[in-house]
Amino acid sequence: MSYVIEAHNLTKIYNPKTIPVYAVNGVDLQVEEGEFTALVGPSGSGKTTLLNLIGGLDYPTTGDVKIAGVDITKMSENKLIDFRLQNIGFVFQAYNLIPVLTASENVEFVMLMQKKPKREREQHAIELLKEVGLSDRLNNRPTELSGGQQQRVAVARALASKPRFILADEPTANLDSKSTENLLDIMAKLNKEDKMTFIFSTHDQRVIDKARRVVTLVDGKIVSDEKQTQSS
Amino acid sequence: MLFKVAWRNIWRNKTRSIVVIASVAVGLFAGMFMMAFFMGLVKQEISSAVETQLSHIQIHNPAFADDKEVSDTIANAAAIIEKLKNDSTVKGVSGRVVAAGMISSSSAAMGVEIHGINAADEKKVSSISGEMKEGIYFSGKKNEIVIGQKLAEKLGVKLHSKIVLTFQSVTGDLTAGSYRIAGIFRSRNSAFDEMTVFTNDNELGQLLGTRSGIHEIAVILKDDKNVNNAATELKKQNPALLVQTWTELSPEMALITGIFDQIMYIIIGIILLALMFSIINTMLMAVLERQREFGMLMAIGMNKPRVFFMVVLESVMLTCAGIPVGILLTIGVVEYLAKHGIDMSAFSKALSQFGFSNIVYPELQTSMFLPISLMTGLAAILSAIYPAVKALQFKPAVAIHKI
Repeated sequence: MSYVIEAHNLTKIYNPKTIPVYAVNGVDLQVEEGEFTALVGPSGSGKTTLLNLIGGLDYPTTGDVKIAGVDITKMSENKLIDFRLQNIGFVFQAYNLIPVLTASENVEFVMLMQKKPKREREQHAIELLKEVGLSDRLNNRPTELSGGQQQRVAVARALASKPRFILADEPTANLDSKSTENLLDIMAKLNKEDKMTFIFSTHDQRVIDKARRVVTLVDGKIVSDEKQTQSS
Repeated sequence: MLFKVAWRNIWRNKTRSIVVIASVAVGLFAGMFMMAFFMGLVKQEISSAVETQLSHIQIHNPAFADDKEVSDTIANAAAIIEKLKNDSTVKGVSGRVVAAGMISSSSAAMGVEIHGINAADEKKVSSISGEMKEGIYFSGKKNEIVIGQKLAEKLGVKLHSKIVLTFQSVTGDLTAGSYRIAGIFRSRNSAFDEMTVFTNDNELGQLLGTRSGIHEIAVILKDDKNVNNAATELKKQNPALLVQTWTELSPEMALITGIFDQIMYIIIGIILLALMFSIINTMLMAVLERQREFGMLMAIGMNKPRVFFMVVLESVMLTCAGIPVGILLTIGVVEYLAKHGIDMSAFSKALSQFGFSNIVYPELQTSMFLPISLMTGLAAILSAIYPAVKALQFKPAVAIHKI
């Protein structure tokens, strides 16, 4: 079986020399292509830290993370940035769009860094924004969009680089129920139709209900890993 | 698109950016205005010195230049003067009899340099005839003398007063002549006014015993750019004589213009250094305020050189926006003042001691625009380095969660 993500004995200790805090403690996790996985657990359980380690935003204290067989924990910071650009899509809790760019420019920006030609960038950005239901908001800046719309732009941006998987950290935490429902439908559709792998940390039961696999963390350790049938 | 992002980022905090742009514009204006002011002042000083004392070119007997002996006249001076008068590039030429002597009134006596001149010729090389405060610049009567206002004050004499000139003749005898003041002048240079008197060349030659002998030939050219070429030509034609341009006659004057540019660059450098701190402060604030954004950019794949470039670009754009404003402001103000002048009469006493005019006409230095703009651009790049390095130090995992 080939995995998109393989984490072995992953540990992240904060303040190792003073009062050590085990944010992630000996985690082993494998994610297959096309999974729709939720990382759940109480606040401080290590969900975000685990996502950061998997996404190459942080280095583990011990253990390794392999993305499509490549160990990213051995990469230099600069190589890791490039690796993220080519392989991983991110959706953040606070949307984190570039405020001075329009929706389509935000989506294009990732492709610009991949040095894709202007025409291809523009075309693909329009397609992606259409896919997330924002074809009428191409030229609006983030401040002119609702939270739900901003998060959908963030999903389109995450997809723009054609990543192997998308990591979403509490993607619905700032959204109302209608926007949450809308966003989940889009992510589920992308997962189902395009086989896009999603891993998200969440507290939101509606998100957990949509997930096909739920990994529960407590005090930095995986305490349960269950596959579930989608409720809707 | 990076340019677009950088440009739009500048305008996220309009007030702050406008303050920086205004600082750059005012700083550049201050520097360039100072340059224009001092360049105007120096050029006026040079022009005053050339018109009253130096002329463009002077010819002497080399021995006279060393010892000022009245016997050391220029051989064949009349022929040289005649030839120069017929030269189409020459505006005016004047032969002078020059002697050091003592001027005495009933109440005081002072050392002076006596210039025996032909008034008609001298008018073409010197501006003194146009700077008469009282009386006239020679009427043609016998034993007339024209002196400076400062000297008149020191001697306690007035127009038409009698004075006595005492000097050594060509034979070494002490000779004196009595003169009546025909005119009192006031040039821009009070030291010159105090030290120089003018009288008729023939009369002075008679008393000195040099007769028609000439000590100095002063030449004013139609175009001051030809000075060096004309001097070279004269040197070739008169190898036995000492031919000097105004820069050779007054090296300190030439030095002023030479070092002036360097001083101005240093002043501009100091202004830019002060501006750099303002830019560093602004860019640092902009970077620290946008930690989350930089974290996100690095998370989604913006590499460090690009982050660095973006911060530098913002700094350069912010600064460069101020450059045209500063230049336009300078052009507007300097052009206006170049026509109307700046009245410095409050400092007239001090200025005239150094030969400076009361009214200063700043002179726009358009050739400075490019180097100053480049210096400002460089200052912007240097100012951006620290904030950009700071941005590179953000850890995406931490920065993303910054509020």
